[in-house]
Amino acid sequence: MAIRIDYLFKETGQNLVRNPSLSLATILTVAVSLSLMGVALLVQRGVDRINTSFKDEVEFVVWLDVDIQNEQIQAVQNFLDSTPFVDSSDYIDREATYEEFQNFFAEEPELLQLVEPDSLPTSFQVKPSDANVELIRELGTEIETIAGVSDVEFATDNIKAISDFSQGSSTVMAVAALFAAGAAALLMYNSIRTAVFARRREIEVMRLVGATKWFIRIPFMLEGLLQGLMGAFLSIFTVFAVNRLTDSFFTDLGSYVFRDFAVPNLQVLSIGFILLLIGAAIGAVGAGVAVTRYLDA
Amino acid sequence: MIKLEGVSKAYPQQDRPALLDAYVDITKGEFVFLVGPSGSGKSTFLRLLNKQEEPDTGRIFVAGKDIGQMSGWKVPMLRRNIGSIFQDFKLLPTKTVAENVAFALEVIGRPRGVIKSQVPAICELVGLGDKMTKYPDQLSGGEQQRVSIARAFVNRPLILLADEPTGNLDPQTSIGIMRLLDRINKTGTTVVMASHDRGIVDTMRKRVIELSHGSIVRDQARGVYE
Repeated sequence: MAIRIDYLFKETGQNLVRNPSLSLATILTVAVSLSLMGVALLVQRGVDRINTSFKDEVEFVVWLDVDIQNEQIQAVQNFLDSTPFVDSSDYIDREATYEEFQNFFAEEPELLQLVEPDSLPTSFQVKPSDANVELIRELGTEIETIAGVSDVEFATDNIKAISDFSQGSSTVMAVAALFAAGAAALLMYNSIRTAVFARRREIEVMRLVGATKWFIRIPFMLEGLLQGLMGAFLSIFTVFAVNRLTDSFFTDLGSYVFRDFAVPNLQVLSIGFILLLIGAAIGAVGAGVAVTRYLDA
Repeated sequence: MIKLEGVSKAYPQQDRPALLDAYVDITKGEFVFLVGPSGSGKSTFLRLLNKQEEPDTGRIFVAGKDIGQMSGWKVPMLRRNIGSIFQDFKLLPTKTVAENVAFALEVIGRPRGVIKSQVPAICELVGLGDKMTKYPDQLSGGEQQRVSIARAFVNRPLILLADEPTGNLDPQTSIGIMRLLDRINKTGTTVVMASHDRGIVDTMRKRVIELSHGSIVRDQARGVYE
């Protein structure tokens, strides 16, 4: 009673080539929706990577007035040492600041000549004990009120903005991907229904001579599965390419924050695996529902 | 072999029932004609037997089993024991004679060896041994009906249901088909045939069940059309 393998392959192959344009349309729709889904996943992972890579570096800089008194510096130092929310702090004196300045503007000697070490503000590089953004912000506001402090600069401001934006766009993409996946499933359903309709006489005979419902259903589901898998394969290439482009884009840009945004190939593979599973599911389930509705009619 | 106990069936869109309180008992190996005008319930009678339709009331037994109690996944097994032929043959135009017959075995998962030996034998039996590689549109109506009989009988069913099998054929060809059905009946297969071909029913002198507006109005051994 087992289904013969050669029969299955023959039937599935015939179904696929019977209506090539519809097959192709289905495959491409699956590919587009899964690409969207894949890129959404990619962005999500990129955001995760940025967030984790900055978790350890959520420093902020306390800029001091240029004409600050030594006692005032000591007061700031004391505050930073006493609060439990600060893990460690480094005082960057004039010489160190000037050195950094020199490094930064090494290409522009005219600018360097204009600046004297004495005209540069000094600063504290502060490493908080907790990566909680709200907490750091509160701490920063408190520090800003100390005499001699000119400004508190948060590295987290930029990161938070970027990660919020990425998170937002990733959510938008995920929603779009869901709609696209729905469209893919419906098209799959239609494609298989057309295939079923083209073979309605055969199916009628099959039912009359006592073929089981699964026997009738499986070639169509296999067809859907194959179309789903082909679409998924195409989408994996897209996701891979997008990841590559992102990587080279941010590398060329020399972006510090985004240097970890593109994910390693292994993670792309894991996304690809998810896409294959979803593609297979959309294909087989869409086809299964289409045939079953016909069989029960 | 076949037993109907108080079977009624009505279709939603029609005010008259298609079958009304039918009691019938057909034993193994019988040849039964269902006669009556169009719309008298002959086709419904046949469609109820292989569970293409469900009765509204009453019980139907096939080969000793109450098919109303049968779960859905067993229906294919029921149909393997019931061959069906039709006025319009229902052959697949893209398949040859041999492939049409083989299809019936393929889709119930018969091994290839069985198909290889059974198909030529059954084609020979129905008189188409030399036309196995022809396509349906290369055959006459009578030959096409023989293919459909071969397909229905290749699985050696207990019952053969025939819905107006000679409806599209000329009298001479019809006689040939009836001889074939008679031969199949002689092998022990129960045959139930719906027909309004008076000549055939009168010549065969088999049991006749007459339907009128869904009711059985006559059940006569060795009967005639009217």
